[in-house]
Amino acid sequence: MNRNWLTISLNFLMAATLPGWGHAEMKSLSEGELSEVNGAGIGLVLEDFKFAHGTDVENGQIFRIGGIKNSQGEDVEIVVNKLYISGAGSNYGETLTPVNLGRLVNPYSIDVVDGNDIGVQDKAVLQFAAPHMVDASQGYDCMSASATAGSGTCASRPASADLPQGERPDIGLQLNLTVGDQDTANINIHAQSAVIDGSYIRLWGDNERKQMVGQFKLNFYTPELSINACDQETAVCGSRIVMQNFALELALGNSLQPVYFDVDGTGNFVLEVAAIQQPGAGTIGDDGLRDSSDAATWDFYEDYYTNPDYRSNLTIGNLSVGDRDFGSGRIEGMLIQHLKIETKDLAQ
Amino acid sequence: MSKYRMNRQSRMASLALMGVLISLVSPARADLNRLDDSTLSDISGQGGIYLSGDISINEDGGPIQNTYFGSCSDASKRCGARLAYQLKEGGGWMVLDDIRGKFSFEGLTLRVRKIDSGFGGDGALFNRDVLEIGLPNIVRYDSVTFKLATSSTARPTDPGFQQTDIFSVEMQGDVVLEGNLLVFPTGNP
Repeated sequence: MNRNWLTISLNFLMAATLPGWGHAEMKSLSEGELSEVNGAGIGLVLEDFKFAHGTDVENGQIFRIGGIKNSQGEDVEIVVNKLYISGAGSNYGETLTPVNLGRLVNPYSIDVVDGNDIGVQDKAVLQFAAPHMVDASQGYDCMSASATAGSGTCASRPASADLPQGERPDIGLQLNLTVGDQDTANINIHAQSAVIDGSYIRLWGDNERKQMVGQFKLNFYTPELSINACDQETAVCGSRIVMQNFALELALGNSLQPVYFDVDGTGNFVLEVAAIQQPGAGTIGDDGLRDSSDAATWDFYEDYYTNPDYRSNLTIGNLSVGDRDFGSGRIEGMLIQHLKIETKDLAQ
Repeated sequence: MSKYRMNRQSRMASLALMGVLISLVSPARADLNRLDDSTLSDISGQGGIYLSGDISINEDGGPIQNTYFGSCSDASKRCGARLAYQLKEGGGWMVLDDIRGKFSFEGLTLRVRKIDSGFGGDGALFNRDVLEIGLPNIVRYDSVTFKLATSSTARPTDPGFQQTDIFSVEMQGDVVLEGNLLVFPTGNP
């Protein structure tokens, strides 16, 4: 009996001194419960940022992309002469200055969002996003380098007296391409005062196909996107192809038609946007009007074909080559209804 | 009588043990003194962290030696690290292969900073603390390479292994990386 008393007192003390040993059982969360989880995301802002890398063999700098072959089996080598991200007014990368990327009140973000809020039912969605677009009464024109508040929907601001570095970087890439033993071709691409506000990548998993799926939105606005080529030896450059007021709003995949990623059994990459499903027999009336159709089905297709979020646009204010102007061009309201890209190994 | 003594001894022993254990878990009895403002103002925490260093990934080769992986001096084998990711159940693998090289930097800083001004008026609106990662201005890359590839199996030693290298990247020399990366929570948790 006394031994029992000792044991009990020891047990009691053990329990009192080890409070962390709870006996509750852990339960797994269902997809539905998980989709309700919406923690705070991480905001990222780059302050006074400057990036540059390139190739300068004499000073031991090399930036090379290789391992690519053309259809004749010749090696293709890409030497990156210069890749830079700098403040606006860099004169095609000649003078690099610092720039801010993202705003404290509207930063770049990494977040897990509730799929129900973005049309992906009962899923937790991983999102990488650039600053989001804002109301036109508060935002800045996406193109103009002297835009003031209330002139457009972009959040990133151009350089001003209050913010000398601005939030719109100059981005440039200078490449040398060598194919087999042919002479090296040079190509330079520069974007001035670039804005990617409203862009995002969303990733989640598909239950039925057991596959990673995603949704991309790439907005790219620049007052000048230019392409030219220069001679390697003499550094004399050809005519510059200039696209003024270039705006790309690319929507690849949407909540109804996400992009599927896969690598097939032979080791080739496959990217697919599946076609939208056909309406069931008899759900859409012969005259195609809502009154003669199943209302929910009709509304679904009406939304699919009219929702501007699902469509891609490309606008070029003016295209010029050297001193010749070719005027403006635009592609508007392009809906990607089906897409399948598959890489093939030419060496096989 | 002897039985009574035994019981009494064991009871005494258990009480002594209990006393020892209670004294171990009971709080200290010293009084806590309040610090006044002037004493507190003398206390200063560490301002931040300044980091310099080298990061090497498989510079001479990894720990695995088999038909595929080996020492970097053996040209017939791959010596870099491999990262494979399956995008679909039962499907092939996306691969970052042959990852190797050395990154050197001096002066990466870490500190907590209060922002309540600047940023073209955003600082005053923001008025919070952020984690500031001060980028080191120059990062030196020494034979940094990696390959992007697609593969039929996760490991090169698995049966039926087939791989397509899409492209390879090689970087060497000084990379300019200036500025501060500010990290902070978003939303209203």
